This record gives sequence, C-alpha cells and structure tokens, in this order.
Amino acid sequence: MKTQSLSGSDRYPVHDSTSRRGGYGLKPGLEYKKIKRTGLLPAFVCCGLLAAAFPVADMAVRSERYLSLPDSPVSILLHADWQMMSMLNVLLLVVAACILYHTEVSDNALLKMCSLPLKESSLFFSKILLLIPMLIFTLALEAAALGFCCWHWLSFSPEALTELAYSMGFSLLLLLPAALLSLLLACACKNMWISLGIGVVCIFTATMLPADNFLLSLFPYAMPFQILAGMQKETITGFSTAAALESLGLCAAEIIFLKIRRWSA
Amino acid sequence: MYIIETKQLTKSYGNFAAVSGVDLHIPKGAVYGFLGPNGAGKSTTMKMFLGLAKPTGGSFTIDGKKYPENRVEILKEVGSFIEAPAFYGNLTGKENLEIVGRILGLPKSAALEALELVGLTPYKDRLARKYSLGMKQRLGLASALIGRPPILILDEPTNGLDPVGIHEIRTLIRSLPKQFDCTVLVSSHLLSEVELMADHIGILNHGHLLFEGTLEQLKAHAENQGYPTDNLEDTFLAVIDADNRQRGGIR
Repeated sequence: MKTQSLSGSDRYPVHDSTSRRGGYGLKPGLEYKKIKRTGLLPAFVCCGLLAAAFPVADMAVRSERYLSLPDSPVSILLHADWQMMSMLNVLLLVVAACILYHTEVSDNALLKMCSLPLKESSLFFSKILLLIPMLIFTLALEAAALGFCCWHWLSFSPEALTELAYSMGFSLLLLLPAALLSLLLACACKNMWISLGIGVVCIFTATMLPADNFLLSLFPYAMPFQILAGMQKETITGFSTAAALESLGLCAAEIIFLKIRRWSA
Repeated sequence: MYIIETKQLTKSYGNFAAVSGVDLHIPKGAVYGFLGPNGAGKSTTMKMFLGLAKPTGGSFTIDGKKYPENRVEILKEVGSFIEAPAFYGNLTGKENLEIVGRILGLPKSAALEALELVGLTPYKDRLARKYSLGMKQRLGLASALIGRPPILILDEPTNGLDPVGIHEIRTLIRSLPKQFDCTVLVSSHLLSEVELMADHIGILNHGHLLFEGTLEQLKAHAENQGYPTDNLEDTFLAVIDADNRQRGGIR
C-alpha cells in the first residue's frame, strides 16, 4: 500500500471544484456498464429471437390456416401470434427490471450510489433509458421475423412494412407503463424474488382480463397485448393517451416513493 | 475553522432517540475519531452527514454548506465508507471505481490511482464478489478516496482486516491530511487504533456526545473526573460506565 505522494498528483487538481463534479444528469451509459456479466443483454437477444421464432414456426407448421384470411398480412400474423410474443416481451421486462435493481441491492451498491452526488431518481430514469433501446432491439427482431413471414408465406408490400413499423411503435408505447411499473416494483423491493413474483402474478392477471373491456385493458401489464392492426382510431388514441398518462404517473410515483423512502430512513 | 459543525443534531425513530442534540466541531485538516459503543449513534450521525438519514432536529454544515439545501454540493466534497463495503459484485474492482469516478466526473486514471492507494492494483481485474473480506474493505476505502475528497467519512474502515491490513489502513488514514489536505472523520471500535490515528476525539453514548476535544484534553478531563488515563481504552470505558450509571444502569 502506498502512503507517499502519488506520482499522478498532477493529473487533476486536488480539491478543485472541477475535480469532483458529479451532478443530477441521466447516465444510461453508466447503467450499461453496470449490467456487465449479469446476462441481461443475452436475455434480450434470446427472448427477442424466441419471440421472433414464434410466428415463423407457426407459419411453417400451419400456414394454410392463414392464407385464405381476408385481412392484411400483418394483421393476420399479429392476431395469430402477438399474444405469445407480447407475453414474452412483458416477462422479459419484469426479469430485466429485477436484474437491474438486483445488481444495485445485492452487494449494497445502492448505498454507495446514494452517498454520491447523484439524484436517486436519476438512477431509475437512466435504467428506463437503458431498457428502451433494448426493447426496440427486441421489437426489431420480432418485426424482422413478421416481415419475413409476410414475404415468404403471405404478400409483402411497402404498405405491409409501414403497418409493421406502426404496430411495433404502438407496442413500444404500450410496453412503457409495464416497464416503468416493473422498475418501480424492483426499486421498492430489496428482495428480487418478491418483485419478480409480483410481476409474474401481474402478467398472469393481465392474461385473464377480458380483452374487450377497455378500462381493464388499461392495466399496465395488459396493454402490451393490444394489437394496432384492425383497431379503431379512437381506441388507438385512447390506448396511446392512457399509456402516456400511466407512464407519467408512474414516473411521478417513483419520485414520490424515493422521497418518502429517503425521508423515512 | 470547523469543516463539519452540527447544532443540536437529533435523529429519532418514534420514541427512540438514536442521536440526541449533538454539537460536533470537527476542525479542518484533523483526523477526528468518533468513539462509542454499539448503538451509540455514530453510524446514524455519519449517515445524516451523507443524506442517507434525515435529521429530526437540529442542523449541520459541511464546509460551510448547509444540509439539506446543498446536499449534492456537500456530497461532491465527501468521500465515504459507511457500515460495509458497497460495490457491484458483477464488476471488477477497477470497473467499480470507474463507475464512481464517472459519477464524480473524474478522469479514468483516478480509479487506478485509488486502487494503488489501497494496494489493490494486482487484483484490479478480479470480480469484486470474489474478493476476500479484507479486499472488499479496501475497495470500499478506495471508492471513498477516489478523487481525493477534502472530507472523508469512514465508518469502521478496519473491520475485517488482518493486523497487517489494519496497520496499513491506519498509516494511510494518518497520512491523508498531509497528503491530500483533507479532514477525516473515522469511527472505530478499536480504541487503540483511534488513539494512534486521531488527534481529535468525540465520544458518543446513547446518542449523547459525552466528550469532544483533543486526546490531551480527554486525558485532562479524565484526570479531573478521577478516571484512569493509562490508555484510551480505560478512559473510554470509564466515561461510558459513568454515563450509563448516571442514566440508571442502562447499558
């Protein structure tokens, strides 16, 4: 151990106000560094591939079932396979949120983070900013598989591509409340298994809710099961507005929760 | 000039006062030893300085900055090690310090420098969860020292270290005010260690500050009260025992 003057003492000024800056800023890059060796990235790739394989396998096995349907190719595929694909997406979100906070809690790193010049809420928002590109990647894999199915078994056109892009964008928007709620639960529960359990129960509850009831479909874990294709304009607006409001509400809930937790410590 | 000053600092949990009306005065450039039995309120006081616990009464300033208005500004100046080593087990020692360094806006070299300071350079690429207890403790210290903060708050920094490690950490802490022009607030159960590294002492019992001053002042105070003055341990035990008896035998 060295106790003498350090050779690198001229690298940055001691006690200069610029030497330890810190601050409130969001740092999704830092969150990306933290997930090293957690298996989160492979989980997103594997889950994306698994979900993408679903429509391909379905079409390979029973394409004749769908060939005579009058709807657009994207609508046919989504109505046939999206329930399973979205179930995998939501399950992935719950697991990802648990892993993200488990790395913070398991070896007490969160305590260190809280004693650094950083807002605890920025950790949460950085994590959601990290989750979004990973979700986009997963949805892109799924879109590629759906596009392939259109091209190979049905009919592929520029309109189908646009419809697919809109559907994936809509799904991303509807996945946001589930992602935020999963992160909020993971942040609130120090034991990863509790937040994972609550998440899984919420997913299964969502699958049991009647799909034709608009209000019940607004449950954050039920929304990702909605399909844009064939949906009426006002329903699309309703779901989009609800997803945006739920997201904002969950962000506000997280900030309030963190404040209460800090002040009651 | 006091770099950390508290006025009637209090922290209560329901009816239980963990810290009760404490007035601390920590001079700039000092190594301030914070002593007290388990549950005396040392860690709670340190947690309040870091914004990890909210004071229920009183106030404190760190380097002239008031809490809670300047919480982030205060944390920019404080390196801390509280309770137990805190790290990301899935990352290496170097990666852990790089994360802390990035949050503090430090250059990448700061992580290597901190690792060198605590003697972890040979193990910098090993996963933190595979570190021994002593190595985890050193990693925690490195994350407190990174960026050479002007104020260091160390809660039981020698826990889990072997005698050689304790000696090394003690020498390091003792050298910090001269080396980095910083102030160190250190709590420890090892009274002999505190005697060797601290020049100011604060004794806390049941949330109350029983004594504050230099080691010489403590000796003079102990002689006045008729307490033993052979070593800090005997004096400390006598001060605590007298306070406990005054409180009706509460231990």
